[in-house]
Amino acid sequence: MLIKRFSAAASAALLIAGSATTASAHHSFAAEFDRNKPVHIEGVVVEFQWVNPHSWLIVDAEMDDGSVERWAIEGGAPSALLRRGWTRDTLPAGTRVIVDGSQAKDGKPRANASNINFPDGTSLHFGAGGIGANPDG
Amino acid sequence: MGNRLVATATVIGLALVGTAPGTALAQPGGLGPDEINGRPNLSGVWQAMNTANWNLEAHSAEALDEFWRLGSLASIPAGQSVVVEGSIPYRQAALAQREANQAGWPKADPETVCYLPGIPRATYMPYPFQILQTESDILFAYSYHSANRLVEMDEPIEAPVDTWMGQSNGRWEGDTLVIETHAMNGKPWLDRAGNYLTRDAIVTERLSLVSPDHIDYQATISDSNLFSSDWTIRMPLYRNIEENAQILEYKCVPFVENLLYSDLIGLE
Repeated sequence: MLIKRFSAAASAALLIAGSATTASAHHSFAAEFDRNKPVHIEGVVVEFQWVNPHSWLIVDAEMDDGSVERWAIEGGAPSALLRRGWTRDTLPAGTRVIVDGSQAKDGKPRANASNINFPDGTSLHFGAGGIGANPDG
Repeated sequence: MGNRLVATATVIGLALVGTAPGTALAQPGGLGPDEINGRPNLSGVWQAMNTANWNLEAHSAEALDEFWRLGSLASIPAGQSVVVEGSIPYRQAALAQREANQAGWPKADPETVCYLPGIPRATYMPYPFQILQTESDILFAYSYHSANRLVEMDEPIEAPVDTWMGQSNGRWEGDTLVIETHAMNGKPWLDRAGNYLTRDAIVTERLSLVSPDHIDYQATISDSNLFSSDWTIRMPLYRNIEENAQILEYKCVPFVENLLYSDLIGLE
């Protein structure tokens, strides 16, 4: 009886543990982004969100007309980035970045990018899959 | 990792079931003896009784005009500041975001849409929470959203990923339980007045049992992105002393679907 009771309690606990709400959904590339809408963004990191299910890089992008527009760049999950050596402190606020990505289908200032490039020519792989992977994967 | 999950599930499971059969009740709503490993046993159902969740700083009573149909049921009660320093030492640039948060209330407040509250807000929401202390782990289980956090009492853990509730590492300093929480995702607010934290915040809580039924609770907030100096909130926590005291679930997710998806449902 005790075992049965514990088992029910443990199951309930696991259900609770799995109920944490996240603000963004887990989805495939094609569900949200359009590969035929390439965007080129140059700007400064505002915040790096080291969160599941996808990491996000918030960038103040310098527009052609001199204005600044805040963009959100979606990357791989922290677990994937961690294995490539990323940490939550890899891209501190103020870092200059250059991003070539695909814009969100709804036209909002969101994009998905496989790489984060830097003014010195170096880059870091930011996408969900392995290097060269199809972004739909 | 597997063992850890099982341990967590066990402790949370006990929180839900209540008192394990055959365990002596030292405190209503609590588990076990007065001391565990020579430290005070903080187990029990606790609750803050103040208006800090409305505003950590001093505030007057105020009507919420948007909810006029509810009259005095929906208005802000007055409260004194729980900030030891009196007011929060915001940097000038950070105040603009607080004002934007205030302007966006209620929908911009994570509490309104039933997101997890983060630390320290989980402590002084208007719902009880339960502390379960064992020889190895200390668990906090909250009524709101059925939130929980396991306080790591061995070697401090660096969080693998940022979350709403962050990673809590605990230690004893004499009879005071000290918990340091980091790696919150930068989204939790501190109250309904728009006070907030960034992802770099570190919250250090100190819990001291000052009577069998009262905890002196302090939380020091360190976030140099926003504040010119560290600051501390302080308040008593009261034990729910009913013999059948227990936390009940407040699963608010279904309650906010109309609000979150009003445009899709056709409510506006």
